[in-house]
Amino acid sequence: MKRNIFKKATSISFILALLFSISTFSQELTVDDYKLSFSFKTIKKFDNSRVLEVTFIGKNREDRKDKIPVYDAEIKFFNIVNGEEILLGTAKTSNEGIAQLILSEKQKYLTDSDGYINFTARFEGSETLDSEEEEILVKDLQLHLELKEIDSVKTIFVKAFTIDSLGVETPVEELDVIISIEGMLSKMKIKEGTIENGEIEFELLQNIPGDIDKNFTVYAQILDNDEFGDVIQKQTVNWGTFTKIASEDENKLWSEAAPIWMYIVLTILLVGVWANYVYTVIHLIKIKKEGKNLELSNKE
Amino acid sequence: MNIETRKRELVKEFSPLIEKTTKVSKIWMAILVAIILVGIYSFFVQLFKGHEVTGMRDNVVWGVYIINFIFFVCLSYSGAFISGILHFFKTPWKNSISRIVEIITVLSLIIGPIFILLCIGRLDRLHYLFLYPRIQSPITWDIIAIMTDLIGCFIYLYLTFIPDFAILRDHSDDAPKWRQKLYKFLAIGYQDTESQRETLHKITRTMSAMIIALAIVAYSVLAWIFSLTLQPGWNSSIFAPYFIIAGLYSGVSVIIIAMYLIRKYYHLEHYIRKVHFVSGGIILLILSLLYGYFTFSEYFSRWFSHKTHDTNLLNTLFTRYFWEFVFANYIGVLVPVVILFFKKLRTIKSITFASIIAILGLWLNRYLIVVPTLETPYLPIQDTRAEFVHYTATWVEWSLSFAGVAAFILFFILIMKLVPIIPMSGIIDNERSSKVKSTLTKPVTES
Repeated sequence: MKRNIFKKATSISFILALLFSISTFSQELTVDDYKLSFSFKTIKKFDNSRVLEVTFIGKNREDRKDKIPVYDAEIKFFNIVNGEEILLGTAKTSNEGIAQLILSEKQKYLTDSDGYINFTARFEGSETLDSEEEEILVKDLQLHLELKEIDSVKTIFVKAFTIDSLGVETPVEELDVIISIEGMLSKMKIKEGTIENGEIEFELLQNIPGDIDKNFTVYAQILDNDEFGDVIQKQTVNWGTFTKIASEDENKLWSEAAPIWMYIVLTILLVGVWANYVYTVIHLIKIKKEGKNLELSNKE
Repeated sequence: MNIETRKRELVKEFSPLIEKTTKVSKIWMAILVAIILVGIYSFFVQLFKGHEVTGMRDNVVWGVYIINFIFFVCLSYSGAFISGILHFFKTPWKNSISRIVEIITVLSLIIGPIFILLCIGRLDRLHYLFLYPRIQSPITWDIIAIMTDLIGCFIYLYLTFIPDFAILRDHSDDAPKWRQKLYKFLAIGYQDTESQRETLHKITRTMSAMIIALAIVAYSVLAWIFSLTLQPGWNSSIFAPYFIIAGLYSGVSVIIIAMYLIRKYYHLEHYIRKVHFVSGGIILLILSLLYGYFTFSEYFSRWFSHKTHDTNLLNTLFTRYFWEFVFANYIGVLVPVVILFFKKLRTIKSITFASIIAILGLWLNRYLIVVPTLETPYLPIQDTRAEFVHYTATWVEWSLSFAGVAAFILFFILIMKLVPIIPMSGIIDNERSSKVKSTLTKPVTES
């Protein structure tokens, strides 16, 4: 029997998840059978807003495939400098165990002397779940994406730099960047390279399919970087091609008027048959006339 | 012998069949009329109370009426087909059975479509079919095909009757006046002159070819009414040839049964001989093998593809309709095959028995094509009553069905009262041609 120790919403949600987990049908599992994973990351988006994201899940210690999200857990996000904690906001984990806080472009952050921003995500714990905390240090990277056609060559320019407190731009070095194009379901990687001296340029492939207006969106992505976290920039450009998707022919038999060939075939068939009937009747009339003449001549 | 004398002799031979009605015949006709009257009563019950008095409901909107329609129409097409073949290829023994086939063709084509009218819920809107036809619809094609074929069959039947009407006109001096007048009118002045004979042969031959083509087209259109839908059990590319084979199978069977009855009750053993039954039996054997092959192919492909709705249909056939399925597709094929395959078993009675089994099997086969499919639709009809899902024909439907069969037999008897069932002109033609042959061969053998 499960221990009746979960009183708070977070604990109840976790235990409910346990109850309805498929693996619990075979044996009774407790919170202790799960190791909690609390991962934190930051993503700087193309509109310069910043997302702080925590993924909070329980992983079965024995069965790695058995993962249960911790949902409805309140996560507090802080910006900390020299022991001073500034609460940026709070968010609760979703059914997938993800808590997100979106900070606008206007949000100001405190940085340390090296220009790093300290973001801390904290779960203060419950009666059954221990408190969790994770911090990340990132610099605020300015990522610029420019698309230009130079001598008929479609080129992507990526610039990456940081700005210090005095407003001086410092180009970054040795930063891996991925160029991708937005597809229907996910981003399609087309190029990757390393930014040197704050710049890199790529030649874009020809004949990339676009939308109905020949537009497509190019992304420059810095992913999982120790210094900057995730940074994404995007631009939409009218360089694509549009191929009209061959739509299925309409079923002409469901239309108001039948296809012409049907009228023609039917007419030919009916005219052929009825012409034969007429031909037969004409000959019958001939037989009748001949009979009448014979009758008359016999009478005479 | 003089041809005119021979004609007089033939009229004398066949006139008892035409003019005299035996007591047995009268009883039979009275029974048939009684069955038809019950059918007419049922029709009025249905007309005033609506289709509620039938077993047809939301799911199964087609019942025994449509099955009878297919059965009779297929019978007609196969009759037309066989008749066309007999005439076109000048089959040597055709004379004894050609008129039976022709009468079957026309009568079944008159009675068959009546069943479709019984199926229509709103007969008052029937004329909409002609006012607003959709040329894309197989139903419209079928209406055009049936009407064209009916007129064609009438013309064809009439062409084959003309020489006999002329013989009867010229040699029925003892017949009642109305009959003499009727023969005179229908004979259209045919005097059996060389040119008239040639003209009549020419147009009959052309019409026979036309009838074969028409039968194939009309058969296929009838099959397409089913196979062009997506319903499980109907959506099949082999339905058109399958219907043609099944129709011929039923057509030949009905011809054999008719031959047996006419031979027995009208004592025409001299004209309808064992050779006709054996020839018909061999044709029936070939058709039963073909029909069995098509049936197997049809169900095997459905079973093998294992699509959900096809599987549901097959489950229904093997549970609810198990015995009907066994009779239609096993007994209805294998019994005729066994009887007709062995030479020793090919007697007149056994061949007729095989034909009866084939006919019953085929009628059930039609039932299994129509009803179980409608009972297992793609989309279940919501809130339908359990008793609405399954179909059982009511007494109204059965009485109208039997009335159709009775009308078919009664009209057959009445036509036999108008002209001899064995074409006299055919006998004369045969004798004339054999005479020509003998005169042609005489000098050669003598020299």
